[in-house]
Amino acid sequence: MSKVRLKFSKLGMGKYISHLDLLRTFTRAIHRAGLPVKYSQGFNPHQLITFSLPLALGVTSETEFVDIDFEDGTDKLLIVKKLNECLPPDIKILEASEPVIKAKDIVSARYTVALDLKNSITEDMLDAFFAQEEIPAVKKTKRGEKEINLREYIGSYKLKGSTESSAEFEVILSAGGETNIKPDILVSKLCEFLGDGVCENAEIHRTEIFYTKGSNIATFC
Amino acid sequence: MLEKILGLLYYMYCITVERFESMSLYKTKFEACLKKVQKPARYIGNEFNSVHKEWENDMVSFAFCFPDVYEVGMSHLGMKILYHMMNDRDDTVCERVFAPWVDMEEELRKNDIPLLSLESYVPLKDFDIVGFTLQYEMSFSNVVNMLDLAKIPLRSKDRGDGDPFICAGGPCAYNGEPLADVIDFFILGEGEEVNNEIIDVYKKWKKSGKDRLAYLEEISKIEGIYVPGFYDVEYNQDLTIKSVKPNRECAPARIKKRIIKNLDQSYVLDKMIVPFMDIVHDRITLEIFRGCIRGCRFCQAGYLYRPVREHSTDKLLETAQKMIDSTGYEEMSLSSLSTSDFTCLHELIDRLLEITVDKRINLSLPSLRVDNFSMELMEKVQTVKKSGLTFAPEAGTQRLRDVINKNVLESDLLRTSRIAFEGGYNRIKLYFMIGLPTETEEDVKGIADLAQKVVDVFYTIPKEIRKGRQLTVTVSTSSFVPKPFTPFQWEPQDRIETLVQKQKLLKDTIKTKSISYNWHQSHVSFLEAVFAKGDRRLGDVLISAQRKGCKFDGWDEHFDYEKWLEAFSDSGIDPEFYAYRKIEHSEVLPWDHIDIGVKKEYLMKEHDRAYEGVTTPSCREKCMGCGAASFGGGVCFE
Repeated sequence: MSKVRLKFSKLGMGKYISHLDLLRTFTRAIHRAGLPVKYSQGFNPHQLITFSLPLALGVTSETEFVDIDFEDGTDKLLIVKKLNECLPPDIKILEASEPVIKAKDIVSARYTVALDLKNSITEDMLDAFFAQEEIPAVKKTKRGEKEINLREYIGSYKLKGSTESSAEFEVILSAGGETNIKPDILVSKLCEFLGDGVCENAEIHRTEIFYTKGSNIATFC
Repeated sequence: MLEKILGLLYYMYCITVERFESMSLYKTKFEACLKKVQKPARYIGNEFNSVHKEWENDMVSFAFCFPDVYEVGMSHLGMKILYHMMNDRDDTVCERVFAPWVDMEEELRKNDIPLLSLESYVPLKDFDIVGFTLQYEMSFSNVVNMLDLAKIPLRSKDRGDGDPFICAGGPCAYNGEPLADVIDFFILGEGEEVNNEIIDVYKKWKKSGKDRLAYLEEISKIEGIYVPGFYDVEYNQDLTIKSVKPNRECAPARIKKRIIKNLDQSYVLDKMIVPFMDIVHDRITLEIFRGCIRGCRFCQAGYLYRPVREHSTDKLLETAQKMIDSTGYEEMSLSSLSTSDFTCLHELIDRLLEITVDKRINLSLPSLRVDNFSMELMEKVQTVKKSGLTFAPEAGTQRLRDVINKNVLESDLLRTSRIAFEGGYNRIKLYFMIGLPTETEEDVKGIADLAQKVVDVFYTIPKEIRKGRQLTVTVSTSSFVPKPFTPFQWEPQDRIETLVQKQKLLKDTIKTKSISYNWHQSHVSFLEAVFAKGDRRLGDVLISAQRKGCKFDGWDEHFDYEKWLEAFSDSGIDPEFYAYRKIEHSEVLPWDHIDIGVKKEYLMKEHDRAYEGVTTPSCREKCMGCGAASFGGGVCFE
């Protein structure tokens, strides 16, 4: 098995590196590192790199995954060390493993949302937002725009702390395959709900990805 | 005296502290803007190979400004060279600044954030030296707009002790007169040596505690430095220039450009920033030589960068290897004004292929000429990737090609096209100019005829050999802009109406669907001519245009001709004076006090030869004594 799964973080200003730019960044980092990567066959050979779950622009993460095909027997520790030397500072490889869990089994992801607020909000207000049965929203897909009920994409949530001017909560959102939703849609709907100008800034951070196997849900790795 | 020094030290300390405070102050506000703009990756820095230094008190800080958006500026080789060269100095920090795109500008203005550097979010105003590179005239409004965004006084005379020095280099600095009121000093020629010299002088000056003027006086003694404020311009009644004279002793009567005599022995760039986002030239640029041996009479670069100087093949191989290792790029492009004129091109390509093919790096060769294009050369490049071919015959008839000294024959183009088609190419781009001196209807129609002949070549090749059933020939015309320091500097530009007529004529003459025709907006070309040949009276126009919102004039969607006309009218200046007037050889030109090595008498002679239809051989065929030999290097001594 030559496929290696790398877990990495994308922090700081790295959140503004788009998915396509990230692919290019990895391709070139692998080149610079001189690692023996495998190429696809065909007219326009390219490195075999697959991200498990694309991350929305503007979102940081401590738990991203990418599968890369290397030549057989490439040392995993060497891959981590060399890639970290050749990646820009905001992207850091945390560990390398053999991919066991399939990316197509991903069902959801956990996000931490930190809001800067003009005035404080209470847990009740958050509850009221999530208690709505219908949260109409528009989702952009490859085929165009689609009207959805955002509530169907939201799992559990938890207020982690709040002050006069900030609030932080955790939320689990559908992810992967058909039911993927970008966390910024939730945040903009929430801010709309809280009222004009209440949210001054929002930082979104992905902390965990989940997959399903039969009826069990577990952390993707 | 001691008091003065202590005072100065304290002042410097305060500036430094303020600088660090403002850094963190703006960073949060700036980041918040990023969520609201398109392509935020333009503004984040931290790309691989970018230099993020710790600012120290005694460092000289240099802001390298490119007056266009990130993806354009990052494609420019000169910036990359000087950025790394200056950052290789321990005593200097060089950071990049690009023109924010209009959406970002709006956010900056709304949130009262001044223009910041990409690396450390330091306000442009807090740098010691702010340097702009002037690659095209239509970026002048962005220079003014960036200073405005930075809250730096727009005019040199309004800047004082706390303000940075504003300098500018690049091809348009050779006639930087329209920006003479704005720029404190121009750097003429190649920057590898002179940029270091101005930093050295800056350090001494800062220690000396002398005033702003003292620094400018000191650097005006450096060859290649032009301080426009040290020259007085007098005008004649007919608005032409009477004289340009230095107004102080330190300023030389004529300012000579700087060149690097031996490229191999100078600073050689062996690393490049690898941007996250897709930029215009997203590849390794391997500069193989500077200058051009040809002497096309319309081409400013061909005269400005004389004499031709090549890198050695060995050095290029060494550099290429380092570039590959340090960037991880999948494409390498050879850079020069005319790739096929490199003396050891075949050897270079063979050896480059040895290090690129295994790593799956594509090699591309832009700027090929049709008169020395070979099957062999094409096959070599083909081993990696077959991209489209582009040639520039520039004019449609042999008569006009002789006038402009584009020594390319119709038979060369047809022969080359045949080679290309037989080699499997089925797309070809042809570049022409309209509005060239002496041009007639026949010459314009000749463009269509020439393109048609290329099409005919394709269809005479048996189907089994050529690739595909359909050929696409793209004909592009730009409008001729007479440029300073060329034999056509005295020429008037065609009026906009005439250019449009000629475009229409050409469009109507093209009969086949195999040829598609693109042309440039003539209004932009008109303003380009005005500013290319402009004098310092245009400074008011630039500032007035910026106030009206002119920016990104090189971008069709932002170019606003009406606003420009208003700006001219408000300043009481007739732009046609600059673009449409035939100038006598005896007239004093706004750039006569700038010495590029090539003598004015030589340009006059070439101008006359153009009208005689006499061509001039290349530097390698025969030296015509243009004057560039005075630099003591390059092709003149081969």
